[in-house]
Amino acid sequence: MGETSSVENEFDDWFIESLKIYNNIHEYQLEHPTRVIEWTSEKTICVAGYSSDKNEILELLLPLKLFTDDNQGLCAERDFKVVHGGFSDGSIHCLKHIPGTRYIIVAIDYVTSFCCHELSSSNCCFLLRCVVTNDGFNSNLQVWDLGGDDCDVIKRTGVLQLKSASSDKGVKIAPGLTGGPCVLHGSQISDIQLTELTSGKPLYSMGKDIPDLLSSLQFVSGSVFLACACNGDLYVGDTRNPAGLQNNPAGGRKGVHWCMGVKTDLSSSDPSSCSVARLSSACQVVVSDLRDLRAPLCQAQLHVQRKTTSDDFMKVTWAPALDNCLAVSGFDGMVQIYDTASWRPELMEFQPLFIHRGHMMSDDQFDTSSAVVTTHVWHPSRPRTVLSAAVDGSVHVWDWVDKATASC
Amino acid sequence: MAREVRCKTVEEPSRVALAKTHAATPSFKNKTASGSHLSNVHLCISSSCFLSGAGQDVGRSCILVSIGGKNIMLDCGMHMGFNDDRRFPDFSYITQQGRLTEFLDCVIISHFHLDHCGALPYMSEMVGYDGPIYMTHPTKAICPILLEDFRKITVDKKGETNFFTSQMIKDCMKKVVPLNLHQTVQVDDELEIKAYYAGHVLGAAMVQIKVGSESVVYTGDYNMTPDRHLGAAWIDKCRPDILISESTYATTIRDSKRCRERDFLKKVHETVERGGKVLIPVFALGRAQELCILLETFWERMNMKAPIYFSTGLTEKANHYYKLFITWTNQKIRKTFVQRNMFEFKHIKAFDRSYADNPGPMVVFATPGMLHAGQSLQIFKKWAGNEKNMIIMPGYCVQGTIGHKILNGQKKLEMENRQTISNGQSEIERCEPGCCCLSLEVKLQVEYMSFSAHADAKGIMQLIRMAEPRNMLLVHGEAKKMEFLKDKIEQEFTINCFMPANGETTTVITNPSVPVDISLNLLKREMALGGPLPDPKKPRTMHGTLIMKDNSLRLVSPEQALKELGLNEHQLRFTCRVQLQDPHSDPDTLSRIYTHLKSVLKGYTIQHLPDGTVMVESIVIKVSSSAEEPNTKVLLLSWSYQDEDLGSFLSTLLKKGLPSGLSSM
Repeated sequence: MGETSSVENEFDDWFIESLKIYNNIHEYQLEHPTRVIEWTSEKTICVAGYSSDKNEILELLLPLKLFTDDNQGLCAERDFKVVHGGFSDGSIHCLKHIPGTRYIIVAIDYVTSFCCHELSSSNCCFLLRCVVTNDGFNSNLQVWDLGGDDCDVIKRTGVLQLKSASSDKGVKIAPGLTGGPCVLHGSQISDIQLTELTSGKPLYSMGKDIPDLLSSLQFVSGSVFLACACNGDLYVGDTRNPAGLQNNPAGGRKGVHWCMGVKTDLSSSDPSSCSVARLSSACQVVVSDLRDLRAPLCQAQLHVQRKTTSDDFMKVTWAPALDNCLAVSGFDGMVQIYDTASWRPELMEFQPLFIHRGHMMSDDQFDTSSAVVTTHVWHPSRPRTVLSAAVDGSVHVWDWVDKATASC
Repeated sequence: MAREVRCKTVEEPSRVALAKTHAATPSFKNKTASGSHLSNVHLCISSSCFLSGAGQDVGRSCILVSIGGKNIMLDCGMHMGFNDDRRFPDFSYITQQGRLTEFLDCVIISHFHLDHCGALPYMSEMVGYDGPIYMTHPTKAICPILLEDFRKITVDKKGETNFFTSQMIKDCMKKVVPLNLHQTVQVDDELEIKAYYAGHVLGAAMVQIKVGSESVVYTGDYNMTPDRHLGAAWIDKCRPDILISESTYATTIRDSKRCRERDFLKKVHETVERGGKVLIPVFALGRAQELCILLETFWERMNMKAPIYFSTGLTEKANHYYKLFITWTNQKIRKTFVQRNMFEFKHIKAFDRSYADNPGPMVVFATPGMLHAGQSLQIFKKWAGNEKNMIIMPGYCVQGTIGHKILNGQKKLEMENRQTISNGQSEIERCEPGCCCLSLEVKLQVEYMSFSAHADAKGIMQLIRMAEPRNMLLVHGEAKKMEFLKDKIEQEFTINCFMPANGETTTVITNPSVPVDISLNLLKREMALGGPLPDPKKPRTMHGTLIMKDNSLRLVSPEQALKELGLNEHQLRFTCRVQLQDPHSDPDTLSRIYTHLKSVLKGYTIQHLPDGTVMVESIVIKVSSSAEEPNTKVLLLSWSYQDEDLGSFLSTLLKKGLPSGLSSM
């Protein structure tokens, strides 16, 4: 009795608090949890399931209310609309939109036996092959057409061949920034490859034998990309110059998993404008920039109590429309926002600027203490609007109140 | 009269035909157009649909179902966007075949919203229908109030003629038969209906319609998540042949109730904090109670002091209905009702018209919901000029009402200088000829919030999982936008999913099992024949005569059928000749056949008769030969129709010849 009421109280407290700390908050419940949220246009996102067999890929239209600045009160529309949907046979752990197209590219894990059956029966226009690995999983990259106005079904249009032999699940994808019909992908540093989508032809591949597992991959300009290995090492590559791979070892501790978030300013060629934040499973963030990726500009020990032992959902992202702000999730049911402006080159603990606790405050029967946030993304232009998803299938869109401006 | 069959169960495919009567095309294109208007129509139509105006037809619901020879009309709604003939369903689809009363076996109304019941008096009194109309008790109580309000606005205020009258509403309601939840009502000997809880609004029901073993479930509007005053929709695993579901929200993923409430409280709180006044125009029943419960809880928790008022008369009226229909609310309210009436509030007090001029913050709930007349409009006029104030519109407003205008962002309103005429229960305003017009500046903040509770994509899937239908029919949606949902339903449940357009008929073939009574004698005889005991999972062949008489099917022995029907039995015999090479005399050959059959057919009665024949059961075998070819024997076989199996077997056996080494005895 006492316990339930304390849970209820905490719930009520948060509800009342939410009146003050959010300008807007919307909570949605998907039928199946997603670990990807990808913008496909200014107003639409893609989400997809990651369960072991059948999954859905959904393109959702965000409610109008989120986009009207004047007379927001007159707009009552606050629901997501499923504008397109499709079915996938495997678990989707990575989904990227190819800029300027209606295509998305998806990395899918299959259980081996199932995959072979599926591939032999498919009639895709791209190459098909699968990687069989010893852990019972294999992966492939698929290209899906989101469709237009005439039909609401998302269809798979092709499967890309993956050449690698040894890697396990977890292919990372980076679409080109300029929207060219190519995609960079890999599951370990040595098999990073640029593939032309229409032909499946490899345009670039890493010449070096570095078997480290890849955790993050991103272009910082038309041809230069950053790759972060799970051990924390950063690599800078150039698709025009296969030999010119630059390694920046992190010298991280053994058993610590790292991932990366990159902020790029396409309009500037200044290497200092490209900030790289690396997040470790020991809850540390190291920030550096392209001038020198080895020396941290600043770093912080985060104020997080880990609730999960899995490194699967770790994510760090820079706010696109706020200076020095980054968001961190994947350790528990929270998304934390940090302002790195006050961070120093020495490792110190810092408090977050804002914490989104919403995923732990689900009103369903779901055990909220075990809630883990699977992913988050920033709204590209609204400075304090973030979308986040959790293992219970919840997706939240929230716009927090900046205390500094609210107080004046 | 009697038909012999050779199967255990009789399966006859029959059809369930469904037709949706004509409903009109999207109608909210011209939002700002003025003209004649419907008013005081509560939150009939989902607000979000109305604003999006993007093709979803939130028109009237009216579905015609033909099942097992019965015709049932599901809902009889009015289109909110039209002021002409198009607002009512086109019944000529039915009336060209005769009067409605002859054609329809019954009409069922799912809930009191006018897009589901607004055309009822028109249909029953003006087109003419005298059969039963079924609706739940709360719907029966609230529906006529709404119809009367609607009529007053249309006829008294807008001066339309050729509309139904108060008397017609009364006469129409006399034809209503009330329904209780989970109670099976026998419309006639064959047609039965049963209501299930649908959430959505007070008294909303889903109905199961059953004729013999065929059934259809119609959902009306429903809500799969409980809210502050209503529970979630629930239905048996009743496996209907067709589940007809509304799908206006089928492609949406709903924002949580909590966030909607949060927004509402935030707006109210901010306004009260800055000393402003909040006006919430509502319909007397429904969301108003929900919002009151919410504000009451918030006020208590935050220790708020600003007064909250509720229009006079409203509280009593609402309380009366909620007391009456307490079983229709959610569990929490039912539980607390014993200790404390959830609808008697600590912080919410009755409003007096003089309070509107009081200084300081306050929150007022007032009717009607669309600001077209009455108290809510009066208060609005007083408060509209102050930007500190706020108006929260919790529902849909029809074209031409002040509510509709301000929701479209209109900042200047031309107000007619009206005179208030008290007209019984509600007040109607009439424009006096030659009156001057006042211009009203809208400075207060306008907020539109939708609290309508409809099932979204997930809710539809939940309901399918609950009811396990054999076919799914989605109405009210836009087919092009629902291909994915259709695929999803068909894949996940391996059933067919249909999305008929307006005016389109969907036909579904059913395979009902037809029960047949078997006479005890026949069963005993079947048992005596031996063989495995009857297994319900395995078909088994048996012989008997099927008598179809007085709407029943009976399988009896042929003798009993003959006796019952006073018929003489006709004998039908088959004969055939078999040639056989056997170098013996005719009697010897016969003896050899006898010996052969004795050894092959164990357990059969085989006789060698002195007249030169062998009989196996009813089968007679004779031997003859010609003098020219004494070794070529011609066997004559003859058997009755009943022994056809054995007869064929014997002829085949004997064609193979007799084994050598048979003694002729």
